[in-house]
Amino acid sequence: MWTDRELLVALQRGDDEGWDEAFRRLYPAAFAAARHPLAALTPSEAEDIAIEALTLLLPKVNDVDEFDELRLLVITIASRKAISERRRQLAGKRGGGDVTSLDALQDDETIRFEPAEKLVSHLNGGDLRELSQLLDAALSGLEERQANLLRDFLMHHQSYKELGEKYRMPIGSVGVSLARSLDKIRAHLQSTPKLWKELAAYLR
Amino acid sequence: MSPESFTDLALRVIAREATDEEHRAIEAEVAASTARREEFEQLKISHEILLATVPMAGAVQATEPALPAHRVNELRTAVRQHFGPAAQRPAAEAQWHIWPHVLRWVFGGGGLVGLGFAVVMFCYANQTVEVGLYGSDLNRVRGYETLTPQDFSSARLVTFDQDAAFDAWQSQPLAWYEHAKIWVDNEHDLLHITQRMRAGQIVTMTQPLAPTDDGQREQIKSVVESLNK
Repeated sequence: MWTDRELLVALQRGDDEGWDEAFRRLYPAAFAAARHPLAALTPSEAEDIAIEALTLLLPKVNDVDEFDELRLLVITIASRKAISERRRQLAGKRGGGDVTSLDALQDDETIRFEPAEKLVSHLNGGDLRELSQLLDAALSGLEERQANLLRDFLMHHQSYKELGEKYRMPIGSVGVSLARSLDKIRAHLQSTPKLWKELAAYLR
Repeated sequence: MSPESFTDLALRVIAREATDEEHRAIEAEVAASTARREEFEQLKISHEILLATVPMAGAVQATEPALPAHRVNELRTAVRQHFGPAAQRPAAEAQWHIWPHVLRWVFGGGGLVGLGFAVVMFCYANQTVEVGLYGSDLNRVRGYETLTPQDFSSARLVTFDQDAAFDAWQSQPLAWYEHAKIWVDNEHDLLHITQRMRAGQIVTMTQPLAPTDDGQREQIKSVVESLNK
C-alpha cells in the first residue's frame, strides 16, 4: 500500500505500478468532474474525457508537491474539457464548426455554461481546494432540506416546478428559499474576500 | 416590488425560468435602483460561481465508479510514451538497488576479477619470511647486528625480550601473509624453519646451528635466500 508521498515519488520517477495506482485512485474524481452538469455529457463521453484528463497529468507530475494536488488538477482539467466538449458539440450541431465564437449561440438556453467555462478555465488546484472546503462548511451550515434543494437546483438543474413537487412547496416559495440559501453561501465565501473577488472577476 | 418578490423574480431570470413579462419587470426594477442592480448582480455572480464549482467540489469526494479495466492499457501506453521504456527510467532508490549490482558483480565477472586479485595478493604476501631472535642476542652476538631487512630481500627481523612472547610466536601457525619463519634455538643449537609449501601445507624442519657467530649469520642468510627462491 502506497502512502501519498511514496506514490508521488514513484509517479515522478515514471513507475508503471505507481501510475496504475494513481489512475485507479483518481479516476472517480476525474469521471465525476467530466460529468459536470453544465456539460451534460453522456457517461461514455464523460469516460473519454476522464481518461484524457488522467493522461494530461503526466507532464504535470513534477510540478506538484503533494499527491492530492493531482486530484484537484484532474478535476479542473476534466471539468474544463467536459465543458469545452459541450461547446464543441453545440457548435457542430449548428453546422458552423466554429468553436471560438459564441455569437451563434446567443439567446440559446445552453449558453448558461459560458460563465462557468470562463470560471473553470481560471480555477487552479489551490482555488479548488479552498473553495471545496468553504462550500463544504457553507452547505453543512444550511438545513439539510435547504442544502438538498440547492444541490438539486445547481447540480441537477431541476426546474422550479420539479423542485416544488419534490419538496412539496409552492413554486412561489422555491425561488425565495433558493435565494436565501445562495445568500448564506455567498456570505460564507465572502469570508475569504480575495478568492471571492477573483472568482467574480473571472465572470466579468 | 417587495424585496422578497424581487429576489424570487431575479433568481427566476438568472435561472432562465422567467417569462418575458417577468424579464421586463426585473429590467425595470434594476434600471430604477442602484441597490436593486447591485443585488441582482450579486445574486447572478453567486449563482454562476456555485453552478460551476459545487459539482467540482463534489468531485473531490467521489469514490466511484472504478476505472474501467478496458481503459487501463490506454493509460499505460500514455505512461510509456511520456516516460519512455521502463528500462530507461531512473532507479527507484539507489540504496535499494545497489544490492543486485553488488551480487551480480560478486557472482559474475567482478567475482573472478576479485578472486584473481586475491590470488595475486596472496602470492605477493606469501613471500614474507620472518626471522625471530632475542633482542639480547643482537647485542650479545656481534655478527647478528648485520641481520637487517636490507640484507635479505623479504626477511623481517622480529625481536623478543621475554621467553613467553618468543614461545608464543614460535608456536603460532604461519599468518596468511607469511611464507616462512625461522628462529635460532641456542638451547639445543638448532635452527628451526617453518615453511608454507607450494601446495599450501606447512612444513617444519630443523638444521644444526653453525658453531660460530659468523657461521650462524651466514647460515641464516643462506636459509632466507633459499626460502625466497
